[in-house]
Amino acid sequence: MPRRAILCVIAWICLTCAVAAEVPSFPALTGRVVDEAGLLTATDRAALTESLAAFETKTKDQLVIVTVKSLQGTPIEDYGYQLGRHWQIGQKDKNTGALLIVATTEHRVRIEVGYGLEGTLTDALTKVIIENSILPKFKTGDFAGGIKSGTQDIIRVLSGDAETIQSAAERNVAMDVKQTKTDMPVWVAIVAVLAVVGLLVLCTVTGGGGVCQAIWMMVLLLLSGGRGSSRGSSFGGGGGSFGGGGSSGKW
Amino acid sequence: MIGSVAGASRASRIAFLVPLLCLFLAGCGVNSIPTYEEQAKAKWSEVLNQYQRRADLIPNLVETVKGFAKQESSVFEAVTVARAQASAIQVNASTITDPEAFKKFQAAQGQLSGALGRLLAVSESYPDLKSNQNFLALQSQLEGTENRISVARRDYIEAVRLYNTELTTFPGRIWASILYSSKKPMEEFTVSEEAKRLPQVKF
Repeated sequence: MPRRAILCVIAWICLTCAVAAEVPSFPALTGRVVDEAGLLTATDRAALTESLAAFETKTKDQLVIVTVKSLQGTPIEDYGYQLGRHWQIGQKDKNTGALLIVATTEHRVRIEVGYGLEGTLTDALTKVIIENSILPKFKTGDFAGGIKSGTQDIIRVLSGDAETIQSAAERNVAMDVKQTKTDMPVWVAIVAVLAVVGLLVLCTVTGGGGVCQAIWMMVLLLLSGGRGSSRGSSFGGGGGSFGGGGSSGKW
Repeated sequence: MIGSVAGASRASRIAFLVPLLCLFLAGCGVNSIPTYEEQAKAKWSEVLNQYQRRADLIPNLVETVKGFAKQESSVFEAVTVARAQASAIQVNASTITDPEAFKKFQAAQGQLSGALGRLLAVSESYPDLKSNQNFLALQSQLEGTENRISVARRDYIEAVRLYNTELTTFPGRIWASILYSSKKPMEEFTVSEEAKRLPQVKF
């Protein structure tokens, strides 16, 4: 009995070592347009959401617009990449995501570019978009107009001409092929499951006692430990990451 | 008969004790130290990558500014020298476990950051330069790169924190003493005075 208890404790300790990461409080990813600061009308939101969805269907790149009231004391450069990572905008391993962030209290705007799009939506281009399309309108108080023309420009840069679309498509296709190759083959999973089941049957038949119970514990813990990711909305980040690309502006 | 049954039972017990042991070892973090080490090394490569990117931008930037502000030769000189010194330092994966080499690397990059800061501060007083499209593009690229450097440095610091903690706490400490006695803690960045100091504008 003591040995069984010790085994159970060890199994529990070993399997529940979770790393808790601290993140600033970010708005929930409720859609492609997260308008926390309330700068857009329902019509604007719907129109933007539609064009962003069409853009993603075409290029597989994810673009999200977010307006917040406050950055909670964080510089927008830090806030931006952390929010992008938190939401995981863009395809996993391709990191083809971008964010347009507007912070009303701090009067800051930023285009945050995921790793995978840095080559197309360069820092210089994002600066041009911010300076020429967004800030002039923001300065006159036309936030909706600035966001709309900024979004249009980003989409134009990322997919405007056939060449860009082609290169984006090629990039995504090429990486799709690579991804399937590196995925774990199905048979490995099947063999692993069979092995565990076999072990359980074997130890039950031979009367494994404490060891058998420990295995059962581990299987149950593993099953319960699986992190489910359920989202309320139909839109979610694809698992992309950000490394500080893009640029910011102030109005 | 009884003996052979007992023997078969013992064999089958060993047969599932071995994989069980492997599972336990993996669960208890026998792989944690090498895993964290690889992660930290990858983050270090990203840091180097971004510093390299900055170094690559500099010649173009200097040339562009020179076109408008020839008389600021001391600033160009400082940037060029600092860039050469930063590039001259041999950096590899072992730099991160060598406090001396790491300090040198950090000091050289800090020196370059300071020189670049002065270059940009000087540029402020040339209106023609400030409205030059080429300069604006280079400036935004440099800003973006500085931002990437800060993100890469932060990611590296976090990865090193995980690795160093694993090396010095239970159960990693035990694994380190048994299996990974050659592993050394890695160095972290400190905010250098040179980088913190704002460029001085002289009148």
